[in-house]
Amino acid sequence: MKKKLLALVLVLTLVISALAACGGGGDADGGGADGDAATTLVVAMEGAGLETFDPGNVYETYASPVMNLCYDNLFNFVGDDPNVQPILVESYQFSEDAKTLTCVLKPDLKFASGNPLTSADVAFSINRCKNLKGNPSFITDTIESIETPDERTVVFHLTEPDSAFISKLTYKSMAILDSEAAKEQGATDAADAAETDTARNYLDNTSLGSGPFVLEKYTPNEEIVLVRNENYWGEPSDFERVVFKLQSDANTQMMTLTQGDVDIALNLTDDTVAQLDGAENVAVVNKPSMTVCFVMFNMDPEIGGPMANKDVQQAVRLCLDYQGIQQIVGEGTVTPYSFLQDGFMGSKGTRDVSYTDIEAAKQKLADAGYPDGFDVELTVCDLSFTGTALTDVAQKVKDDLAKIGINVTIVQQPWAAGFGDAYRAGEVPFTVMYWNIDYFDPNVQLEFLPGKLVGLRAKWTEDMDPEIAALIKDCMAETDDAKRAEILGKLQDMTYENGPFIFVAQGPCHYGYNTRLTGVTFSAPHVIDLTQVKLAE
Amino acid sequence: MLRAAKKLFKSNYLFTLGVIICVAWILAAVCAPLITQYDPIIQDLAHRLEAPSAAHWFGTDDFGRDIFSRVIYGGRYSLLAGLVTVVLAGVIGTFYGAIAGYVGGRIDNIMMRFSEMILSFPTLVLAMIINAVMGSNLFNTLFALVIVAWPKYARLMRSVVLSVKENDYVTASIALGASQMRVLMKEIIPNSINSVLIMATTDIGNQILMFSTLSFLGLGSAPPTPEWGMMVSDGVNYFNRFWISGFPGLAIFTMAVGANFIGDGLRDLLDPKLRKEF
Repeated sequence: MKKKLLALVLVLTLVISALAACGGGGDADGGGADGDAATTLVVAMEGAGLETFDPGNVYETYASPVMNLCYDNLFNFVGDDPNVQPILVESYQFSEDAKTLTCVLKPDLKFASGNPLTSADVAFSINRCKNLKGNPSFITDTIESIETPDERTVVFHLTEPDSAFISKLTYKSMAILDSEAAKEQGATDAADAAETDTARNYLDNTSLGSGPFVLEKYTPNEEIVLVRNENYWGEPSDFERVVFKLQSDANTQMMTLTQGDVDIALNLTDDTVAQLDGAENVAVVNKPSMTVCFVMFNMDPEIGGPMANKDVQQAVRLCLDYQGIQQIVGEGTVTPYSFLQDGFMGSKGTRDVSYTDIEAAKQKLADAGYPDGFDVELTVCDLSFTGTALTDVAQKVKDDLAKIGINVTIVQQPWAAGFGDAYRAGEVPFTVMYWNIDYFDPNVQLEFLPGKLVGLRAKWTEDMDPEIAALIKDCMAETDDAKRAEILGKLQDMTYENGPFIFVAQGPCHYGYNTRLTGVTFSAPHVIDLTQVKLAE
Repeated sequence: MLRAAKKLFKSNYLFTLGVIICVAWILAAVCAPLITQYDPIIQDLAHRLEAPSAAHWFGTDDFGRDIFSRVIYGGRYSLLAGLVTVVLAGVIGTFYGAIAGYVGGRIDNIMMRFSEMILSFPTLVLAMIINAVMGSNLFNTLFALVIVAWPKYARLMRSVVLSVKENDYVTASIALGASQMRVLMKEIIPNSINSVLIMATTDIGNQILMFSTLSFLGLGSAPPTPEWGMMVSDGVNYFNRFWISGFPGLAIFTMAVGANFIGDGLRDLLDPKLRKEF
């Protein structure tokens, strides 16, 4: 009898818990599609461990599309346009010496709270980002002080000429906070903000911006819910709600997209995109991202050995099979012309894949004094870029170099166990690496030139190419974008067949979206600019 | 012994199967160039990611390399890893354990505590650390496997030696004036070696698996070496193309199972306590 009773209790428990699980599941589903499903935009994206949506602290890549909806910046990049546009700013003026920027705000701007957006909010937000000394504070490094002569005028005084400054103002941590509301939550822009500011917890779960949406709820590793800002100063969005499903698995994203459960999937892979071929109501975007993979030689003959020889470098440049590398990295990959990725203001676009010329490469190698080739080690670390392992690119390089007699042995070294330090110290003779941009301005790529951050990792010093070094300074000081593009063009031509870097691939990103939407494009600074996504007519 | 072996083949089908599998793999690895028509290293991007067909029996990988060729050539590395690791670890462990057990006392204590220290690490993690610090290539991977594997042989050997050294023939040998070295080499080790041999044969399969695991994690030989574990990990990004991971995975499976069958059979043959009546 006792046994039977026990069995009965166990069965009942099972049944009840099963029912509860079903009920719970139903609730959760209902929660996502609250209101009218047609006016809810559901985006699936990677987002494990997104830490914060506080503009003063925000740094992670996948926080960008959320910040872009909740906050406005003085300037911004819209859609996939590589040229910066004024957003909150009506007019602006750079001083002759490129050290002072004066901006006049548009009239009648207001926050979601209804408070007016004034120059004081701008100064508060940017000073707070600087003084919090958090991850994104580097972006304010060139700001000396901010002046607000009247409610609509902001004057930035810079420590040095910085032609990238307007681009920097588009960065997500330069978003404009509602200073009045933020101060109520303990925010401060004082010099000791790093210790005294207490608003972060609040701003992690709520937004105090002027963007078309307001952050309503953030459940880590699960979802981010935004609702429309009814006080928005611009044209209101087609959507009442935007829900970000934090789900990084490409296969899951692909399935939920085809089933219509999500509208946009941001982390598809080459393989999953291929499976979407012919799926109903689904379109894909395969676009080159700003993540670039490059082959690097060390210019110091003591370290680089034969790879330090300019003729050998040119031979390698001529013999690489760029089209093959594009195939391996995946649909949407392009080979940049030089150090400036395709898609940047001033970029000369792509290198033609017909550049490859094995005979000319053999000749160059003979000129360098190695008619029969040589043996060399290619050190590569365990990292991946846009889903392709660096060792895969290294294998392709090995295969290509074998065609001109250079016998490559691949040596694997984990990033954390020595490679990272050696790479930063400029001690790696020959490698394949990748680079991701911090903010969206062509000046970030100047780091690949002699005497700059990455250039020095290849032991490429200013005295090796003084002409390039001089142009870098001109480029930093040139605030007129047309003239800056001209300088950038010259720099790209000078490095097209010169220097210790060969830029082999701009890794692709693969987005999938429901065809009820329009305006889904890749955005380098925001991952995706959802303000431009609308319902198709 | 020979008769026992014959009987073993007849009565123990699994052992026979194991021998067939392993002999087939060894033959395939040795005669790889004769069996395969493609080079396992050279890339052919025009034929990448092709499904199994008459031209490419096991399909091609993301570089257009023939997976059948790579699997056949890959047998060399796995066999090598299994055998080299077991032989080296077995030899080191045998002498270490024999000395510790025979000498006894404080030296025994110190030696065994040291081996236990190594045993107390999770094996895979220890092998990964060694590999990560020294850089990953074939030699270092084998080195890591040996470092991880030898203590268990040492422990086994010591425990057997402790009982063997009490035998009368050992005492007699010492009484006749034989040197310590002679006693150890001529009396102790030959009479204790059986259990180590049994352990070694069953261990080959484990070592092959361990080697593949390390390669899968990117800590084995450098690409483009056709190594099975690494080939399995190559296919991880291509979920709907089963052949990239599937065939090398099957190869690891058959090789490990074959080696284990042989190990089990040999145990039946060599271990008098477990030997069945044939």
